[in-house]
Amino acid sequence: MSNIIELKNVCKSFGNTEVLHNIDLSIQEGEVVVIIGPSGSGKSTLIRCINCLELISSGEVVVNSISIPSEKGKIRQVRLEVGMVFQQFNLFPHLTAVENVAFGPRKARKMNKSKAAEIAKNLLNKVGLAEFENKLPGQLSGGQQQRVAIARALAVNPKVLLFDEPTSALDPEMIGEVLDVMKSIAKDSGMTMVVVTHEMGFAAQVGDRLIFMDDGRIVEEGKPGEVMKNPQSERLKDFLSHVKHH
Amino acid sequence: MDFELSVIVESLPALLEGAKLTWIITILGIVGGMVCGVLAGLGRIAGTEALGEEPHGIFKPISIVIRYISAGYVETIRGTPIIVQAMFLYFAFPMLVKAVTDIERFRIEALTAAVITIIFNAGAYIAEIVRGSVVSVHKGLLEAGMSLGISRFQLIMYIIGPIAFRRMIPPLGNQFIISLKDTSLFIVIGVGELTRQGQEIMASNFRALEIWLTVAIMYLIMTTVLAMSLRHIERKMKIF
Repeated sequence: MSNIIELKNVCKSFGNTEVLHNIDLSIQEGEVVVIIGPSGSGKSTLIRCINCLELISSGEVVVNSISIPSEKGKIRQVRLEVGMVFQQFNLFPHLTAVENVAFGPRKARKMNKSKAAEIAKNLLNKVGLAEFENKLPGQLSGGQQQRVAIARALAVNPKVLLFDEPTSALDPEMIGEVLDVMKSIAKDSGMTMVVVTHEMGFAAQVGDRLIFMDDGRIVEEGKPGEVMKNPQSERLKDFLSHVKHH
Repeated sequence: MDFELSVIVESLPALLEGAKLTWIITILGIVGGMVCGVLAGLGRIAGTEALGEEPHGIFKPISIVIRYISAGYVETIRGTPIIVQAMFLYFAFPMLVKAVTDIERFRIEALTAAVITIIFNAGAYIAEIVRGSVVSVHKGLLEAGMSLGISRFQLIMYIIGPIAFRRMIPPLGNQFIISLKDTSLFIVIGVGELTRQGQEIMASNFRALEIWLTVAIMYLIMTTVLAMSLRHIERKMKIF
């Protein structure tokens, strides 16, 4: 298997604050990578560098053989292959659920209207929201909105899906439904997934690799079960004890 | 005090002619003003994160120039009275043209000057409405759009545009009504709009109460039509 994502010596600064320090990371096609770490550790920034929502300050990001920053003109091609699911869902508020999902195929993939609608309906069905296709985002619960957002990201048929704390803004009873959709994507489609989350159960069940970040560095990584059972660093031990207590 | 209804009836045809002209200047003015306002409003935030990502290469200096030109336009118009703008365009501009070119008989029709003044004047205020609405669109929505791999043009057309437009409607209503009432100032360049018609009738029959009451009601009807049309558009758009 080849590496679909490679980060080489990546640094990212906001003003004078460096939030990522010399990150090296390779992700294989089909791999499910879970990133954990305390807030402010650079997890979100790291995955936002993968689809160029943040441009790195130095180093290189290679996604699907496109190298950023040297091929800056191809950022849109990177994004076509890298979908993203956001903490705040970010559904387009003026479009219905099915229009939200069909938007990417229609505009980014230039499909005709009926083909895009068909894809959208299939995906909404897959995330269990077939009967909500004509609802506006404001008429849906948080969990439903996030499931639509996942369908929207899948609709452009990307090779990679990034999840930026997808369950952090949800009420506790809605977390399960979103995680279930994510699990089925991981198991059924062989999608490459990079997931920033605090859901340790999800990491243990579907993660191929767990990465612990702190202070802009990758501190530990390995098989989720092993990393959780035998944390090497004090910081991870401390972090795990906090996560487990909640 | 005597109130003669017949005075109103007699003056109605002339007043309606004036109202018609007021309406024409207003409609042309706000249509043109919208075009001007959208261009200048987007121009003021060209190349900023409010319209997606900051551009690289040659587009960066271009966007800075566009921002300065747009800001210069908006500040110049907002900073001078509309009556001065109308007089400048009607009286001073032809002299300026004569001075710098060989064209001897250049002049602008009063009506043309009125329409152009309203277009540029409304455009400057609408630019700020456009800018404010666009900047208020949640950044996460832009990121969601960009992460799907769409172009900047598509982002503006299909995401920023519709969301911002809905927020523009109430302040646009304000501006349209202000522009309609501003047409009364063109009395100074001799446009036969409603106020001027009222003034002329008044000067011949001295029936101030009847004439100005009728004129006021006519303005009120026209502004109500404008306000109700905007309310209609607002209601027709999906609620979010």
